[in-house]
Amino acid sequence: MSVAAISAGAIPLKPSPRERSQQRAIRRFRWSILGPLIALLAFVLMPVLFLQLYFSFHQWTVYLGSWWEAEYVGLDLFQEVLTDPRFGWAVVRSLLFATGSTIGCFLIGFALAYLMHKPFRGQAVYYIIFILPMLTVPVVIAYTAEMLLYQSGPLNDLISRISGYEFKPMWLTNPHIALPTIMLLEIWNWTPFSFIILLAGLSAIPKEPIEAAEILGASKWRVFWEVQLPLLRPVIFLALVLRFLEAMAEFPKTWALLQGGPGTATETLPVYIFLTTWQYFEISKGAVMSYIVMLLMIAIVLFAIRLLRREKRTLDALYGSAAAAPEAPA
Amino acid sequence: MITKSRRRRISASVRYVVLTTWAVVAFFPIYWMIATSFKPDTQWFAWPPVYFPHPPTLSNYLNVWFGAEQYAATQYAISSQKPLISLLNSTVIATASTLLAVLFGSVIAYGVSRYRILSETRMFQLLMLRMIPPIVIVAPLSLYYSALGLLDSMTGLILIYFLTTLPYAVWMTKSFIDEVPREIEQAAEILGATRWRTVFEIVLPLIRSGLVATFLFILILTWSEYLLALIVTKTQVTTLPIELSKYQGTTEGRVYGRQAALAVGITIPLMIVGLVIRRHLARGFSFGMVRR
Repeated sequence: MSVAAISAGAIPLKPSPRERSQQRAIRRFRWSILGPLIALLAFVLMPVLFLQLYFSFHQWTVYLGSWWEAEYVGLDLFQEVLTDPRFGWAVVRSLLFATGSTIGCFLIGFALAYLMHKPFRGQAVYYIIFILPMLTVPVVIAYTAEMLLYQSGPLNDLISRISGYEFKPMWLTNPHIALPTIMLLEIWNWTPFSFIILLAGLSAIPKEPIEAAEILGASKWRVFWEVQLPLLRPVIFLALVLRFLEAMAEFPKTWALLQGGPGTATETLPVYIFLTTWQYFEISKGAVMSYIVMLLMIAIVLFAIRLLRREKRTLDALYGSAAAAPEAPA
Repeated sequence: MITKSRRRRISASVRYVVLTTWAVVAFFPIYWMIATSFKPDTQWFAWPPVYFPHPPTLSNYLNVWFGAEQYAATQYAISSQKPLISLLNSTVIATASTLLAVLFGSVIAYGVSRYRILSETRMFQLLMLRMIPPIVIVAPLSLYYSALGLLDSMTGLILIYFLTTLPYAVWMTKSFIDEVPREIEQAAEILGATRWRTVFEIVLPLIRSGLVATFLFILILTWSEYLLALIVTKTQVTTLPIELSKYQGTTEGRVYGRQAALAVGITIPLMIVGLVIRRHLARGFSFGMVRR
């Protein structure tokens, strides 16, 4: 790209008619692809965002007739939401849930990937078993969790038998444990994600620097910290950032299993927005919360994208991708 | 003094212990779901818990999936044929939206890979379609859909799944197209093929296996999607995850065996698909940024 741009700028040749017709053809091709994409976004996404903006400034509940007759209330709803302690707690819970489960997935996934990155007997079988939790439907996990976690259920029974102690936490009904419980479910569900990404990263690390360090007498520990880990950085970022974003959006398990309960113990942002909109029918308040969450998420995502862009360059260089030289064909 | 071979043996056995422990943790819930689906109703939440169904029974499956009345004689009676209809809906919706996403996505990906029709910045902005949690748009979406008459229709779900999986399709297929040397296309263009013919007759066939992987990967996402389906579908069109959630909180109380039979039926196709493309999962989930 840069080479093409420089050469085109440095030597201002008059394009021949043939080149010009080719450029026209490329432009036509470009817009025949982008046109439908833009139309799609304009047709589906724009009206939705517009409606959301409208409801953020107009007080409407389903009990009031038509939505276009809703009363204009300015920033009142924003004030209501921002001073709602329940909303604040939902933000805190979501961040806790996402951070905790991201770290959990990462640590376990990393340990497994590190133990598996060199070939050994049975590797393929372990790999298959390890990715299974990711290949289940989230709602299924919620219901299976209920079958496993009730107080005199199989999980407590197994732990009691193995440890020899009476082990009877109320995983789902104790408000102090419920949030950690869904975090554990999230970790169980998505550790495979961190695992496969880190494993792919570990297997892609070139052998030479590791061997060189070993020849120079570095211990396994030092090789890990000073050679492997820095080379893994892009993959680590990827595993953390993508997982965190997905965890912020987690809804099906939390909702299907606990609906935010007991009390409000597992009321994360998606759950609280869902409750407000579909159970309390406060459409406008829900819209305002959505709006605030959307802005919050856009900020987080923009930051995440900055990180991802940087790491993607490193990765592309690592894989020697053809994408590294995407100039237009001559 | 510990010899080197002895140390290696110890570290190998530590590895097997750790890996096997996690394998048990990872597999036990899946085992429990499968086991419960074969249990007669007295063993669903018996104390002490029943680890092996005895005798195993097919009644849960026959009742849930085929509405077999003779097995519904207990207090846990559920007799409808809805799951089969949901299965059909899920299949149609997931397949159609995924096909659309892969088809359109791969054409965009080709344009980006060869003609940079989207800048790197735009490509990353496209990811936002996926990264912003869907919960923030579901309420206005449902109002908009109801105005368009798309609520409770397959078209509505197909459309929104198409849109939300498009970033995966574009990024994943682009990572495959980037690996194709462009000399072949250039030859085709010199021979006078139009760009569209080049895309459909040369480039896409060359990345066939990549397209299949992308298709199956996105199928996993659409098959298990819950929130959008919960909002968009009402009574006419339900997908399997929604159907499953209807089996909870009904007056019959806990119907674990039935739920498990339904859950197994939803999960098995997903696992088969996932295991088929297991070597491509990292690429899929990382938007093609990580490859093996």
